Amino acid sequence: MEGKLVTLELNQQQLELLDRTVARGAAPDRAALIRRALREYAARHPRPPSALGDPAEPRK
Amino acid sequence: MSAGDLLYSAVLEPGTGKALELLRGQVLRVEQIEGGQCVDFNCFNLHDYKEYMHTGRTRTLYGLSPGKGHFMWSAPPRERPMVYIMDDRVRCNDVMFPRCSAYLYESVYGLPVHTNCHDIQAEAQREYGLTPDDVHDSFNLFMHTGVRANGELYITRQNSKPGDRIDLLALIDVLAVPNVCGADIMRTSNFSIKPVKLSIFTATEAEMAAVPRITALPSQRTPADFKLNRIKAERELKRDPGYAPGFVNVPIRYSDLTVELDAEEYAMLQRVGLKEIYREDDGAALRDIVFSWWEETYMGK
Repeated sequence: MEGKLVTLELNQQQLELLDRTVARGAAPDRAALIRRALREYAARHPRPPSALGDPAEPRK
Repeated sequence: MSAGDLLYSAVLEPGTGKALELLRGQVLRVEQIEGGQCVDFNCFNLHDYKEYMHTGRTRTLYGLSPGKGHFMWSAPPRERPMVYIMDDRVRCNDVMFPRCSAYLYESVYGLPVHTNCHDIQAEAQREYGLTPDDVHDSFNLFMHTGVRANGELYITRQNSKPGDRIDLLALIDVLAVPNVCGADIMRTSNFSIKPVKLSIFTATEAEMAAVPRITALPSQRTPADFKLNRIKAERELKRDPGYAPGFVNVPIRYSDLTVELDAEEYAMLQRVGLKEIYREDDGAALRDIVFSWWEETYMGK
């Protein structure tokens, strides 16, 4: 499988959360943060999680 | 258990409730006399009745049966701990069911006049000028409830014993309103209605120091922060012709963020992306993963 460009549609509030996460040192930039999230999420979830009613979803 | 000074002691008779001024640092003890009695509990900020205990926030944080070590929170936008559950000998409480009402007994049982928690609450808090419309959903002490597999809610019998008690520590000055649940023809209090004992103590310094710290945030707003902060006195709702919407962060604007994934990363996306929802939309699947990862990584930490 080849690499690919993937485009996310994000609003200003979602970008603010990403930028704040970058600012706290999680990754050098937005793209790196997204790749880190993908890699760590995939490592934590060997199989696709249930789409609805994920029991691991944190409480508000 | 509080070892502080006893300030008040009374028996709450069946069919009654009592509005009590519970100041910061004081503990209200609700104690079983015969056992098996549900007690509905509400509270208001003593200095601003518009701030009141919110079972929704409390339920969201602690689940359907909060107990020792949990807080009773006020509703948004105040959203702060009002009461700390300092001790709870049974841990059989409910924040799922609303208070029972006159309509319930008339519509289901054909009893137009029957003890019910809404009206008992209303009558008790009337001592402080509050109306029946000011009663809100209660924190139900000593009430055994659950959820069936099909999602239906149920109430069942309880096994609290004489001497079992719950100690509620006020973190702000509150008007506390406990009432003996009026449901004597339901399982709630094992088909009976019995007195309970109320006591108020002063919390010790050690007890106050043991309350977990909750950091105050600017989003916990007070009337001083409201655009409109006077309490409406008229019942009729009329449009304000001068109203101009002031919603935050609008308009919500979407923009594209393109990320280059290598072959390994793209394979990961194909493996864990939620195809059943996003189908071939890789961007939406990746967005879901990013914010799901964020929740797992940072929420509650």
